Amino acid sequence: MADQMQSIIQYVLSGLAIGGCYALVALGFHIMWSTAKAVNFAHGDTLMLGAVLTIMALDQGVPLPLAILGAIVASCVFGVLLERFAVRPFAKTTSSIGWMLTTIAIGIMLQALVTMEFGGFSRALPSPGVEKAISVMGAGVYPQELLIPVFALLAMLGLGWMQRHTLIGRAMQAVSFDRNAASLMGINVNWMFGFSFGLAAALGGAAGILIAPITQASASMGLTLGLKGFAVAIIGGITSAPGVVIAGLGFGIVEKFVEGYISTAAREIVGFGLTILVLLVFPQGLFGKREVFKV
Amino acid sequence: MTQRLFTPLAFVALAIFLVALPFTAENEYSLRLFMLFTIYAIVALGLNVLVGLAGLISLGQAGLFALGAYTGAILAVRLGWDFIFAAMAGTVVAGAFGALLAYPTVRVRGVYLAVITIAFGLIVENVIIEWDHLTGGTTGISSIPKPALFGWPLDGFRYYAVLAALLFLVVVVTHNIKQSRYGRAMLAVSQSETAARGVGLNATGVRTLAFVIAASTAGLGGVLYAYLNLYISPDSFTFNDSIRFLLMVVLGGAGTTVGALIGALILTYLPEYLQQLQYWQQFAYGLLLALVMFVLPHGIFGTLSHLAARFFKRGSTLSQVADGEIEKVMKDAKAGWAPAAFSAEGLTIRFGGLTALNKASMQVAPGEIHALIGPNGAGKSTMVNIITGFYRPNEGTVTLDGTNFAGSPPHTVTRSGVARTFQNTELFGDLTVLENVMVGYQKRLSYGLFAAAFRTGRFHKEEAECRHAAEALLTFVGLTDFANEQARFLPFGMQRRLEIARALATAPRLLLLDEPAAGLTTQEIDELDRMIRRTAALGISVLLIEHHVDLIMSVADRVTVLDYGVVIASDKPGIIQNDPRVIEAYFGVAPAVKVAEGA
Amino acid sequence: MAAPAQAEQQPCIGNSGPLTGPAAFGGAAVKYGAEVAIDEINEAGGVLGKKLRLIQYDDAGAPPRGVDNVRRIALSDKCIAIFGGYHSTVGLAQVGPVNEIGIPWIGTTGAGTKITENGGSPNYMFRVSAKDKWVAQFLANEALKVSKAGKVAIMYENTGWGNGALPDFKAAMEAKGKTVAAIETFNWNDQDMSAQAIRIRDSGADTVVTFALDREGNQIVRSFDKIGYKPTIIGAWGIAGNLGDLAGPLANGVRVMQTFTWMGEMNPRTKAVWEKIQKKFKLKDPSELKMGSATANSYDAVYILAKAIEKAGSYDWKKVHDALYTVKYDGLVAKYDPAFDASNPERQDAILPQYYKLTVWSDGKLLPIEQTVYGKAGN
Repeated sequence: MADQMQSIIQYVLSGLAIGGCYALVALGFHIMWSTAKAVNFAHGDTLMLGAVLTIMALDQGVPLPLAILGAIVASCVFGVLLERFAVRPFAKTTSSIGWMLTTIAIGIMLQALVTMEFGGFSRALPSPGVEKAISVMGAGVYPQELLIPVFALLAMLGLGWMQRHTLIGRAMQAVSFDRNAASLMGINVNWMFGFSFGLAAALGGAAGILIAPITQASASMGLTLGLKGFAVAIIGGITSAPGVVIAGLGFGIVEKFVEGYISTAAREIVGFGLTILVLLVFPQGLFGKREVFKV
Repeated sequence: MTQRLFTPLAFVALAIFLVALPFTAENEYSLRLFMLFTIYAIVALGLNVLVGLAGLISLGQAGLFALGAYTGAILAVRLGWDFIFAAMAGTVVAGAFGALLAYPTVRVRGVYLAVITIAFGLIVENVIIEWDHLTGGTTGISSIPKPALFGWPLDGFRYYAVLAALLFLVVVVTHNIKQSRYGRAMLAVSQSETAARGVGLNATGVRTLAFVIAASTAGLGGVLYAYLNLYISPDSFTFNDSIRFLLMVVLGGAGTTVGALIGALILTYLPEYLQQLQYWQQFAYGLLLALVMFVLPHGIFGTLSHLAARFFKRGSTLSQVADGEIEKVMKDAKAGWAPAAFSAEGLTIRFGGLTALNKASMQVAPGEIHALIGPNGAGKSTMVNIITGFYRPNEGTVTLDGTNFAGSPPHTVTRSGVARTFQNTELFGDLTVLENVMVGYQKRLSYGLFAAAFRTGRFHKEEAECRHAAEALLTFVGLTDFANEQARFLPFGMQRRLEIARALATAPRLLLLDEPAAGLTTQEIDELDRMIRRTAALGISVLLIEHHVDLIMSVADRVTVLDYGVVIASDKPGIIQNDPRVIEAYFGVAPAVKVAEGA
Repeated sequence: MAAPAQAEQQPCIGNSGPLTGPAAFGGAAVKYGAEVAIDEINEAGGVLGKKLRLIQYDDAGAPPRGVDNVRRIALSDKCIAIFGGYHSTVGLAQVGPVNEIGIPWIGTTGAGTKITENGGSPNYMFRVSAKDKWVAQFLANEALKVSKAGKVAIMYENTGWGNGALPDFKAAMEAKGKTVAAIETFNWNDQDMSAQAIRIRDSGADTVVTFALDREGNQIVRSFDKIGYKPTIIGAWGIAGNLGDLAGPLANGVRVMQTFTWMGEMNPRTKAVWEKIQKKFKLKDPSELKMGSATANSYDAVYILAKAIEKAGSYDWKKVHDALYTVKYDGLVAKYDPAFDASNPERQDAILPQYYKLTVWSDGKLLPIEQTVYGKAGN
């Protein structure tokens, strides 16, 4: 019985850790979608950028805090440039295929470049948070792993605070409700698009740096995370920040339990199967707003 | 005339190309590449219908491709099925899953649908890996028997011949379907689902057909692929492969048959050239995709067509149609058309706590012009939406000649004989003016998929009727000179007229016009006035929602007034104009003096 | 369409391997060994008067691309032979087309048993590398030597490689009269194997055999560490790359099977070859040779092939195939006497298990076990 208990606790803790990753990625999607009604389909690569650039900076002898800061700023710049050149030209058309394919294309190019520079190997990003595991009733977890869901929650709360108490946050909300009206109120809508993508990318970069000590940094680390993060965002309701975070954490825990009690391949089947099911029953996601179309 | 010859000539050119191609093969490897091209082209052609016509994005074609491949391989290896039957089975299985994939389109669109297709593709991939007793798991299925046609072995050139023949068949079928009522229906549904429903198209059915076509071709391609390689494993059916299929369609030009072929050709040969670049392979791949999106958004062929269209503008070659013909078109004699009495009884609908309509009733006699007026928010549009099936009432009936169709979906309502225009014009923007009206006529066409695919006599006959009818209606609304313009380029007033022509094409017995005069000039309103009278004179009842008092006074036989969801008056226009309740509803005060005209 | 059996092929060796992607070091490893051997042979006059060259094609570890590369190399480039690459799954997929076309294929890395033991007759798949059947036996033996409780578990990746090795390992254990205490699998890119770790620990196993790559190997050792479980880990050579970097001190004591090692004390011949590699590819330290076994395997494979071509007297696939069975050669990795034996289906593999070595991770370096504390008795 104690063994069962230990397994369950292990799955919950590990699930929160991976779920925190998904939540952070999903939060980035939420920020982009709610402002611009478009996302960076290669958002997973911003995580990769954060981690990889940090390691490359460390290789050059840059001190860690500076390396981290530089990587986050670089991710942010990437997001802003991506929005300006790959998304904005296509955001006007009603079909989403435009920005979907351009961002996928940029993602492929970025990954290829990074592979050439960084090598195909995974490399470690050392951190005190993964040196020793803490034991909770027999289940083990690295402090860094628990840091991730905490960071996700903080990011969500921070986002909410920003939206309520800062000018730029309120401007973001205005644009997300009605961009034409916001524009008439003097808000530079294009800047807000750029800001939202930059913010999402910076968040992604930071997430990547947090995650890398656990998963290792590699040129391909962003792919699956990006895909699942997007699925999580859709499940939770991409218009709701708390929704995507809860969905992310829940998804992670479900994954671990499926992995534990059934198998690892079943995990993907169940995970994506759930995505489809939820979308069929809740087309706007579990916590999203229903979009009403007036005839 | 040259336009008509173009397509058959293109087919002949394709046939020659396919026959000549293998003679340029230097070695077996080159021949293999040709065969791979034909397989990818088959998949791309089907996906082209889904993406280019129906406007639906699928990033899960690799899953359908895999379903075809594995079905065929398992049947061939485990059960010893013959090539032909294995191929058919693979196509059918994939097609069935395609129909399943269409179901979510009822609820979700755009990016959400794309996510579902991505999830589907990944689920298939993982099920293949997991269900290893059946599929061989990660090791895959090897030793697939070489394809044979009833004992006649199909290797090398012979297999190529089979593939080329299949490709040709798929090209002809998909192209013909594209140019038929099915293709038009898909385009209509993707450009304005609301309007499409309004003219009797079943949006879900149309989308399902598109998905089934895309899935079946993917499944067929999969089986052919399995027989080409004689070995399949889950690695051939990943998300990257789904992206590649989509890229073929987009690169070539979504919606064009030639585009799909070009896209498949390029993406079959590109990896060969990129092999040399080794480390830059992936990068070049992404760069190409990005370049297409930025520089050639309509794809290669699509951009070429657009340029050609700009240079070779075709004016309208249509002539006016005689009145007698127009009348025959508007009154669908074959279907036993006759004027009908319309009645709405006790309609009530609640939205949350708000009762938008409360036991509203009205009658429209056959051939009557009836105006429905009321202050903003009175519930006029709600009433129209209920009548045309966009909303479902909580209580009440809506009948035409006694048959109640309250709560039926819009396409059923149209088939009962009601047609409408929309407050915000809902045209099929990228279709031509003529095509817009043809779509309206489509509910009167009866030829099936087979007839469309193989251009039978019935197809030609009915399409000619459809064209003729559309020409007649364009004459009726005075748009003959603009028949070949794209609808979205029409000036506003003409767009309105086009909507009316399209609605009339369904041979309605009741025509609903939702604020048709809004935004029109005085002259245009006069023309509208005449059009309404001519329509009613033929026996078609007209229900008019309007604010424009002059028009109402001029044209309406009777007027019904709604206020806060309740019918407060229903009588001749002159009487309504002086009715104190109506005046109060509009102005809020009882009049001390008779109201002058032109409020 | 039968291949033109009598035509002369080109003096090139085509290699299909991962040049991009996470296993790119595997492709590089083959290049290092093969090109240096080719240089040596060409300097001595080439083979039958012609100079050899190596052409590498990227398969990124994807079997369909590996299959395409076989056809490209054989039918388009018309090379005299194909060298296999890192991934066993690719090698397995290449069996069909290779035997159908009839071009000699020599594996350099991927050790899947059924690659060479594929039932083909004639069998054109040869290998100068390990064979998972023997690797499994080797690992089973070493594990049982080290295990105090006699309970050994296996963690294998859910791919063609891992799934293929599992039956080999089970058979090896049964031959020693033992059952495997726990059988657990995982997928590529999995970050956390705590579920599997718990089950392995609860089975009572004190030794774990792995068929995993560095990336997952790192997660495996960390998952064990998290639940406070400290078994001895003995792995197949998927974890011979950078496990030491990824897992840090947790990698210490993890044993890895290899056919060759460039680390630690080198004998004079190895040193000479290393210096040529170092010079040609501007490397600094032998630890930069990730998957060093593949480099040595490729070096030997080139020489074996060259000798076979000489014996065949022409660049003809069938003749070279037959000649391969008569080659004797004193190589870097082993003494090949002969390299292959047509009468024994197990002997399409040139390197016999007596040449397998055990290396161990020690402070970030993968050293021959006898040169470390772990090689001393009692560890």
